[in-house]
Order: sequence, then C-alpha cells, then structure tokens
Amino acid sequence: MLLPDYYEFCCRVKIVAGHDALEKIPELLTERGAKRPLIITDKGVASAGLIDIVSAAQKDRLFADLIADNVPPDSDLRVVNQLAKLYKENDCDAIIAVGGGSVMDTAKGVNIVVSENAEDLMAFSGVGALKRPLKPLIAVPTTAGTGSEVTQVAVIKDHEKHLKMAFGSYFLLPDISVLDSRMTMTMPPLITAMTGMDALSHAVEAYYCLQKNPLSDAHSLAAVRMIYHYLPIVAENPSDRNARLSMAVGACLAGIAFSNSMVGLVHNLGHATGSVCGVPHGICMAIMLPYGLEYNMHKREEAIAGLLLPMAGEAIYRETPPAQRADKVVSLIRQLNADLNTITGGRHARFFKEVKDREGKPLVPREVLPQIARAALSDGASIYNPEDTDYEDNLMVLEAAWEGIPLDRNKIKRG
Amino acid sequence: MSIVKDIPSAKKPLKRAYVGIFLWFTGRAIQAAAKVDKEVKKEFDNLPDDFTFSLGCLPNGPWMVIGKRNGAVKYLGGNPSQHKVHVRLAIKSVDAAFLILSFQESTALATARNRLITDGEVPYALAVIRILDIVEVYLLPKIIAGLAVKRYPKQWSAGRKLGGRIGIYARTILGI
Repeated sequence: MLLPDYYEFCCRVKIVAGHDALEKIPELLTERGAKRPLIITDKGVASAGLIDIVSAAQKDRLFADLIADNVPPDSDLRVVNQLAKLYKENDCDAIIAVGGGSVMDTAKGVNIVVSENAEDLMAFSGVGALKRPLKPLIAVPTTAGTGSEVTQVAVIKDHEKHLKMAFGSYFLLPDISVLDSRMTMTMPPLITAMTGMDALSHAVEAYYCLQKNPLSDAHSLAAVRMIYHYLPIVAENPSDRNARLSMAVGACLAGIAFSNSMVGLVHNLGHATGSVCGVPHGICMAIMLPYGLEYNMHKREEAIAGLLLPMAGEAIYRETPPAQRADKVVSLIRQLNADLNTITGGRHARFFKEVKDREGKPLVPREVLPQIARAALSDGASIYNPEDTDYEDNLMVLEAAWEGIPLDRNKIKRG
Repeated sequence: MSIVKDIPSAKKPLKRAYVGIFLWFTGRAIQAAAKVDKEVKKEFDNLPDDFTFSLGCLPNGPWMVIGKRNGAVKYLGGNPSQHKVHVRLAIKSVDAAFLILSFQESTALATARNRLITDGEVPYALAVIRILDIVEVYLLPKIIAGLAVKRYPKQWSAGRKLGGRIGIYARTILGI
C-alpha cells in the first residue's frame, strides 16, 4: 500500500441525502441564521421542473421566491456580478445552488462577491486568497457526476477579457450538500451515462494519482463500488429512485476523493479535447478512462488491481490471478462503456471517432489530435499523473483513444 | 509591554545556506540552458517577452528570480520584490525546500504533498516546471536526476547529454 509521508484531507460539508432531503432545507438554513436565500440555477434545470420540486419542498416554511435562472453553460463573470447585485438588492442572507458544475461555480463566485463586498473578483483568484467564511451556501446537484457540491474550487470565465479565473479555498466548500433522488430522476440515459462516467473517472483517478492518501482512498473505493454497480441500472431504468440516490451518493463520494487527491491524464487529455473540439466533459472521461489506467499501469499496477474488488466483488477478485487483476479492471471499464453504448442505442461514444454532433458530423476529426496533444501541455492535471507526459505521449494516447484500440504499453516511455 | 510575542522561526543556517547556494547555481544554470538547449529555448520562446518567475522558500527566502529581458533569459538575483513576477513557486519552509532541492522528492511529488505552492497562470507554471526538470537532468548525475524528475529522459542522445552538460556547466560557472 502506498502511504504518503505527508498529506492533507478536508471535507467539512454537511451532506444530507435521501428521497426527501429537500424538505430539510428550511431547517438547515435556520440553523445558520438565514431566512432569505437566493436560488441560483440555469434554464435547463428550471424548465425540467426541478426548481418547482425544490420550491414545493419548502412549503410555507421558507421565503424562497427569489430565483435566478440565467446561469449560462459556462460560468461568466458578468452573470456573477449581476447575481451578486440581485442578492444585495433583496437583502438575501444565503445561496441555494441548484444545478451542475457551472451553476455551482457561479454560486461560489457570487458568494465571494457578496461576502467580501468585492468590487473585483480577480483579487480573490488563486489558492488561499480567501481568509474567512463566506455566506451560507447550499448545493443541490442535479447530475450525479461533477462532485462540485463537495469541492473547494470554482472556475469563473471573464468572456470579455478571455480570462479563466480559478479559485481554491476551503471557504469555497458549500456548507451543505443536499442529495435528493428527485433531482436526477428526469435525466435521460445518455446524460446519465456520461455524467456517471465522469464520477467514475474522479473515483478511479483519485485512487492512483500522486496525491492519493488513505482517506481519499476510502472515499474512492466506496464511490467505485456504488457507481460501477448502479450506473448501468440507472441508465436502463431512469426512474429507479434507489439507484438514482445511490448514484448521487457515489458521485459525491468521488467528489470528496478527487477534491483531496486530484486527477491526472484522463482529465488532462479530456479537458484539452473538450476545449479544442467542444466534446462534453463526461464523454471525454468515459473514453479516456481505460487509457489513463493503461498508461500508468507500470507505475500503479497494485493500486489499479485493488479496484477489482469493489467493481467485480469478492468471488471474481479471488479467482483472478493477482497479475491479471489490473488488466481485468481496464477490461471491465471498457465493457461498462460498451454496455452504456448498447443501453443508449449507440449514442454513448466508446472512442473519439464515434463522437458526433447533432447533424452527425464527427466532433473529433483525426487531424485535430496534434492540436489536442499540444493543448494538454497547458493543463494542470498533468502534474498529478504518476507517469510523466509530453507531446508525443499525449498524441500516442489520443490516437489509440480515437481508434478505439488498447494502448500498446511497450511504446510507453519509461525513465 | 505587548501581550503578543513574536516567535521567530528556527534559523537552520546549514539548510538555508544549501538552499541559497542551490538556487543561485540553478538560476545561473537556467540562464545558460536557455542558450544551450533547444527545448529550454523553445519553452522560453513561448512565454511573454517580460516573463519573470521566482522559486524560493517561505517565509523569508532565499529566492531566485529568472526573467526574459529583450529576448534573452537572465538570472535576476535573489530578490523577487524588485520584479513583477508572473509565476511564483514557493516552498512552504526551508525544511521542505531542503527535501526538494536535495532530490529526496520530485517537484510533482512536492506539489502533491502540499509543500510547493504555485501562484500564477497554470500554463506558464507548467512551462517553468518543464524547464526546471530539463536543467536538473543536465546538472545532476542520472541516479540523482532520476529522483528529482518524474521520468528520466532515456531517449536523449549521448551527444545532447554530454554537449549540453559541458555547455551549461561552463556558462553557469562563467556566468554567461
């Protein structure tokens, strides 16, 4: 077992999970002395009727009629400032963020502005710039994937200046995360599959990357067990509320794990593919995950082999020879992608040449792979990957992931 | 009488001296490597014209500062407060700096263990880390460089290793 000489772990988010967890919100706000929250969400969440469910769950116990649903798919500084103004004008005293990663990031940005009375959000960017607790923030995730409800980071884009501001602080952790099965019940199988694979990639990468530690490991293993088991069930039966809640909890566990242990090559190349070609993050994670494992196998075989137990169970773990366990983990993840492909009628892509836009045009033409490989050199996730990566390594992995063939591990450079 | 008493950190003169000498030498070596090694030159070429970075330890140094000035890479001494720094790599203490700079821990592992704080744009910081890795490979014997970097570049030709090493050491000592 890899025991680091030194590590840090922090998750002080109160997690409230259940089929009726939303009903607890008024009490949770009262505990924190708040009674006038601003609800931040996006149009997709609102039109899916999820805000109605949140509002109905409050009944008359909470004055929660102030709803801002204008968060764009990418967090935006202008929107952060608009919402902060709305918060102040209405004397709000807490924020409820209902949505995915962009909504959570926007809510965290608004919280910085209103708590610090900030004129310039940029002054608080970077790690450790926040020095005191912010206003109460309740996170209600509507996908089981990003883990933003338990992470200490936020990324806000200044589209006018073409700047991406990253914020990192324990004070950005939401005070409370409410995981309610009703929030993910209407997610279609394709979105369920890609967000679920995003969560699985958090749990798996957190288990073998450089910042892993015994506490993040415990969260990773629990997350892998839940996500691997429940993801195909929930993709096939979207209305299975127990499976929905299990996925929400699994994604939350994975979020805690990777927030403390970071991620590597899978996210490194996934981020670059997303920014160059506009491929949704979850699809990139699903495709890249087996390749991240293969690329790092020679440095992390024991850790990767350890994932077989939560994935396949005790019987299969025991009957698989130790030397084959890590390879078995890779093949099970490929099989999971294949199963999700079948369940979604071929829409869940297994490799990059399968990724198409709505008109059926390829989103990742082979000739852009060098551009993606170069872009990946500017992504911070590479730092935490066990094996080093350079342009040629990135390109080799991308070509295999584009074609859908296993990585030729003899070609991986070793020190 | 003040009720608050400042407790100064232990001075650890030997470790501090080692770290100071290492940073001074490495700073000059980076200046040299930017002239000798094509990959280091290319990394600097991709950075802005007035790009400046610092590496050192908290709270009171020592530090080294490197900057691009009129297209040339210069070692700018040990005082970051005199410069507008784009990327700051700050090691949390002299003890942690000693661990990293005596090659008991790689830069990546030090980051993972929360000993190294990086301030500045991530792409620039990653370029700086790649430059530091290359310079360490030139300065150190293989067995030690293997501990300092994530992956020792076995694929480098003997000519690149030997020629680069001679060129960088000569320029570092002469300060050119």
